[in-house]
Amino acid sequence: MSQGQAIKKNIEGACDVNWDDYLKSYYEKPQSAKTWSGYEVQELYTPDDLAHKDYKREIGDAGDYPFTRGLHRNMFRGRYWTRREVVGIGSPADTHERAAFCFEQGGTGLNTIADVTYEMGLDADHPWAKTEVGLTGVNITSVKDMETLVGDIPLDKVSWSLITASTAAAATMAQYVVVAQQKKYDISCLRGSIQNDPIHFRYCGFRPACPLDLSVKLGADVMEYCTRNMPKFYYTTVNMYDLREQGINAHQEVAYGFGIAMCYIDELLRRGLHIDDFAPRFTFYVSCHVDFFEEIAKIRAARRMWAKLLKEKYGAKDPRSMQFRFAVHTAGCSLVPQQPLNNIVRIAYEALAAVLSGVQSLHCCSYDEPMCLPTEKGHLQALRTQQILAYETGVTNVADPLGGSYFIESLTDKIEEEALRCMKEVEDLGGMEEAIRSEWLDRKFETEAVKRQKEVDGGDKLIVGVNIFDSEPETKTPLGVQRITEQSAKQQISEVQELKRTRNVGRLREAIDRLRDDASSRKNTIPAMIEATKVFATTAELLGTVREVMGYPYDPMQVIESPFK
Amino acid sequence: MNRDKIKVIVSKVGLDGHDRGAKVVATLLKEAGMEVVYLGMYQTPEGVIRAAIDEDADVIGLSYLSGEHLVYTPKIVNEMKKSGLNDVLLVVGGSFPPEDVPVMKEMGVDEVFRGGSLTKSIVDYIKKNAREKG
Repeated sequence: MSQGQAIKKNIEGACDVNWDDYLKSYYEKPQSAKTWSGYEVQELYTPDDLAHKDYKREIGDAGDYPFTRGLHRNMFRGRYWTRREVVGIGSPADTHERAAFCFEQGGTGLNTIADVTYEMGLDADHPWAKTEVGLTGVNITSVKDMETLVGDIPLDKVSWSLITASTAAAATMAQYVVVAQQKKYDISCLRGSIQNDPIHFRYCGFRPACPLDLSVKLGADVMEYCTRNMPKFYYTTVNMYDLREQGINAHQEVAYGFGIAMCYIDELLRRGLHIDDFAPRFTFYVSCHVDFFEEIAKIRAARRMWAKLLKEKYGAKDPRSMQFRFAVHTAGCSLVPQQPLNNIVRIAYEALAAVLSGVQSLHCCSYDEPMCLPTEKGHLQALRTQQILAYETGVTNVADPLGGSYFIESLTDKIEEEALRCMKEVEDLGGMEEAIRSEWLDRKFETEAVKRQKEVDGGDKLIVGVNIFDSEPETKTPLGVQRITEQSAKQQISEVQELKRTRNVGRLREAIDRLRDDASSRKNTIPAMIEATKVFATTAELLGTVREVMGYPYDPMQVIESPFK
Repeated sequence: MNRDKIKVIVSKVGLDGHDRGAKVVATLLKEAGMEVVYLGMYQTPEGVIRAAIDEDADVIGLSYLSGEHLVYTPKIVNEMKKSGLNDVLLVVGGSFPPEDVPVMKEMGVDEVFRGGSLTKSIVDYIKKNAREKG
């Protein structure tokens, strides 16, 4: 009988107490001493475990190379982490409204997420998009949608994180720049970030929109454009989080995330940029899963590994190039719909791990994520979780408070060692691009995901409400359900159709011709996308034009043809 | 054709790209001795039904994670009725509010497995109910 079953039986018999089981529970001890990722750990760590360490060289103070202990000596005394909740719901106007709500409630960074149609590069009036616009985020078909989304947000002051990850990030960039210019901002002063990590997004269901060569091309176009024109903008957030959500473990998250980051670095170097020109604007999106110490050690290991990688492999001289800047997204896949209020506790532990790791920006999941898009109450609860951490618990006083712990330092070393082994494995395959092309990475994700489910099925990984302490399933979502009204989508679709009927077709064609020419001659496509966006070229038209040049169908879903033939 | 094995179509419908669950379930049903045809992402209701007919499937399993379950499920049920697939078991899995479970059952879904369901519960249900319908 597994531990889960023993306790379940006990709970079921609670009215008619089985005292033998009760006693077994009293004397119960954990059956496994492994971490979530399966690392064996000792029952006690002592000074002997750190005896060999050279503190200055291998750990270092916060603010000093190799940044194991954090990017800044004073950490949160200098500034709190950004409390940034992801928002994306219904139409651009609906999304703006929810974002404004988060601001009013004390959110400190804006974070808007694209829906599946936008990430796929489809206009709202695409046959596949009509039933899905706004379901999981916001669709931006034309610059008009971006205008609505921006509204009165002061773009030079508020740090806005635009979550478009796929090749559609190139269109987002153009739409964002055009709106900023219309509003008379000097684009060199714009702050914030764009996710722009199309390579990883093939693993999130967007393969038709993210062929590998197109992902490298458009991803790097955005990075290069920003390097030259928007020096305060963070132009990529390499998304290790989404990789982790596929079911992989802590060190694989770091290794594969770095592998993808290196694809972009190598491309920017091929374009003649110097590593210190662009590396300071690289950022990462990291998962914080539910194994508290493991996640802290993972982030500390990632910081040290990135510093060494940039210095030793890429020859960076500027310390800012070596700094692993990251946002944390608490692990959506650690949440379950059973006994949903328990998710609030899981999220709080994960957020605490993020903060103790020295996070720059944090998104806490909403407790209702396994049921629906976040409700307003769900969003507020997530934000309050961050605020309790920031203002009540005292965790902001000291940089890297767990640094020097015999256990944490040992686990940091262990994860670094495992991640480096993983990176070597990828290198031996011919590098990350090859690992992706040969679908080696797909197979890795699939095997690991099955392994995770078997761990839960077999009771090796315990989840309260799932395989231990389960009770009658709920019939109601405690704080209500978020629904997307069809009305928002219908209105956006009709506005897009109206725009397509009324814009100046001659000027549009000229702009699309220029974009096609630039893409054909391997020039950076962002300037031409900006010009085309000004004359109301849509997301699908911008991306489709470049797709055709690169040898792909105009429409990722292969339903519609280019209107510019 | 091996008629001893229960044959299951596993699919996603629409644009939602969260396919981890569908792929894991497909693999684990195979390991439990069933014959599984995994259609993958971007399927239409018509495409799923066509596959179910071509493959002479006993079960259709659909996975939703992006709030599109109430859009596509009625279409699937309707297509099944039109094609006379009255004896095919329709099972849905994924992320949705508990409030929507009875709604989907009312529409004609035979069973619903939300996130966190253990594989055994899915396997047991299918083994007990496949070929028993209609």
